[in-house]
Amino acid sequence: MPPLLSPRLSSSLKPLLLLSQSSLAPRKFQIPRQLVSVKRRAFSSLASEQSSDNGGRSGGRSGALSPSPVAEEVQRIDVNPPKGTRDFPPEDMRLRNWLFFHFREVSRLFGFEEVDYPVLESEALFIRKAGEEIRDQLYCFEDRGNRRVALRPELTPSLARLVIQKGKSLSFPLKWFAIGQCWRYERMTRGRRREHYQWNMDVLGVPEVTAEAELIASIVAFFKRIGITESDVGFKVSSRKVLQEVLRCYSVPENLFGKVCIIIDKIEKIPIDEIKRELNATGLSEEATEGLLQVLSIKSLTKLEEILGGAGEAIADLKQLFSLAEKFGYSEWIQFDASVVRGLAYYTGIVFEGFDREGKLRAICGGGRYDRLLSTFGGDDVPACGFGFGDAVIVELLKEKGLVPELSLEVENIVCALDHDLQAVAATVATKLREKGQSVDLVLESKPLKWVFKRAARTNAQRLILVGNTEWQRGMVVVKVLSSGEQYEIKLDELE
Amino acid sequence: MPPLLNPRLSLSLKPFFLFSQSSFAPRKFQIPRQFVSVKSRTFSSLASEQSSDNGGSSVGGGRSGALSPSLVTDEVQRIDVNPPKGTRDFPPEDMRLRNWLFHHFREVSRLFGFEEVDYPVLESEALFIRKAGEEIRDQLYCFEDRGNRRVALRPELTPSLARLVIQKGKSLSPPLKWFAIGQCWRYERMTRGRRREHYQWNMDILGVPEVTAEAELMASIVAFFKNWNHGIRCWF
Repeated sequence: MPPLLSPRLSSSLKPLLLLSQSSLAPRKFQIPRQLVSVKRRAFSSLASEQSSDNGGRSGGRSGALSPSPVAEEVQRIDVNPPKGTRDFPPEDMRLRNWLFFHFREVSRLFGFEEVDYPVLESEALFIRKAGEEIRDQLYCFEDRGNRRVALRPELTPSLARLVIQKGKSLSFPLKWFAIGQCWRYERMTRGRRREHYQWNMDVLGVPEVTAEAELIASIVAFFKRIGITESDVGFKVSSRKVLQEVLRCYSVPENLFGKVCIIIDKIEKIPIDEIKRELNATGLSEEATEGLLQVLSIKSLTKLEEILGGAGEAIADLKQLFSLAEKFGYSEWIQFDASVVRGLAYYTGIVFEGFDREGKLRAICGGGRYDRLLSTFGGDDVPACGFGFGDAVIVELLKEKGLVPELSLEVENIVCALDHDLQAVAATVATKLREKGQSVDLVLESKPLKWVFKRAARTNAQRLILVGNTEWQRGMVVVKVLSSGEQYEIKLDELE
Repeated sequence: MPPLLNPRLSLSLKPFFLFSQSSFAPRKFQIPRQFVSVKSRTFSSLASEQSSDNGGSSVGGGRSGALSPSLVTDEVQRIDVNPPKGTRDFPPEDMRLRNWLFHHFREVSRLFGFEEVDYPVLESEALFIRKAGEEIRDQLYCFEDRGNRRVALRPELTPSLARLVIQKGKSLSPPLKWFAIGQCWRYERMTRGRRREHYQWNMDILGVPEVTAEAELMASIVAFFKNWNHGIRCWF
């Protein structure tokens, strides 16, 4: 019998043969003479592991485990996930699945199709020379073939790439959504995450502001679904065209536009003098800087119209958006705020961000129109708008509002054989129930009934089904409804 | 009426501003004097693009390796429209199939009372260093991150499971019945035309020394193959 190459934790496929790693369980069968010494070594390593490693299970998160005395194959590993990343044990995974379910359900209600792309992309996809923070924190590296690649910091460039790739085969408008993990590399002194999941919804092929209105409507729908109201959050809305018009008035060259927006986006994050300094360094005159900053402080569309005049597209787009919001019924959720520019260089029109009204959290989501992105990749431009919605801030918000759902493991049945030789019957019971679509936690070992009840409580089982000799001799099993305590016997083929 | 931006796709857009990237349509409103020259540049670049770039229709029906850059600006770059070698995009039709498959993975896991977990796709390289000469080790997709740490895109899920189980220690109540659906990676020379990534459904039972555990696992795969479909049509 060939030795196993790769012992997986739970797969003792056939009796374990000598391997290069230490084995923890004694073998059941007769060990051939020549391997006896190895077996002893296996047992002794088990014994020493139990004493030195606390039974192989350290109580909490320890940075590293002490190596066992046997074997070169045991290594010191960090039990924590890499810095800035997360594990999802069952309870966290339930919350994540709940959140993603709502992302998907809203996307479905709005008629969007799901897509996905590789988490690893060519670095070139993210190189934009506008000085964005996203570029500084790009998680890039050289692969084994010396190609510059990156773990994506956002999903939109991949979307653009795929749309160009599919070319004529696509029928516009496209309404696509994705939920993908995005990465950044940031010095961990700040204790921030290096990865998060982001829900993206994008509409391609619609030049009208109706697309932005639809996207905002979808986020409102999402918030409402999870219990968040307009008193908890709002959207600040503006347009990149506002800045464009102001900069044109001061004869600022168009190619500086992206850089100016990135600097402006930092307004709440760095001192105003630093902002002014950076704007001047980019090439703006003092006059242009002052004029720009004044406009950015405007919080009313009427006032903006006074300054810019009514002819420009910025005002027209924004007015249309607010009018649509009224018709959609979410006026209470949005407000004009000229200081919103968002931190991505490629926005060309309406931009928006979701914010927490108590002012405690970072932006919940953000998006806007980006009609010019595809041509930067050498493709034909398609009008496009979309948003990104991360999985971290929303959970913080839910915690703040006491809206985190209580999700627990729930199995419908727990099935247990009371006698060891009835294990096969118990398996048959489990199969029967599963065929009918019911979840079953099958007890796989001989356990005392008390243990089974404890497990049933932990898994919120609805029913406990016991296979015992007495009843089985009559072809019956015992069903106990755990909520009521009701108990009855039933024939196996009548069980449902 | 303004010229169409992209005659192939039959979109008529509202006029837009000249941006740091090339633009094709003129503006609707009165252009201030100083920008007239810029506008001409726009039209001339449109004309030359149409002649040299095949009318901008370099977006062919199939997969071209790279696109020629448009004539205007420093901001346009040559990018490959294909995903990185050995990886896949999931346009809607492929995503539907994947969701259907994953839905069945999850449904079977649910029927067997398993709980879903997940771990980072990036792990310390140390987690996968086993000196047994496995193919999985030769093809480890490892690299040095920006902080010079040796990390790897996981080739399998089991070591992460082991790590998490050790981490949680006494807080766990065995037996554990955990499942995961995660993307796994390998680095292989592409001359063989093989994939570098795939998604893998894992089911693991921890804490049961009996062979009943293996039997249960095999039963779950049989159940998956039999495709017990209980009329749940919400795989999107």
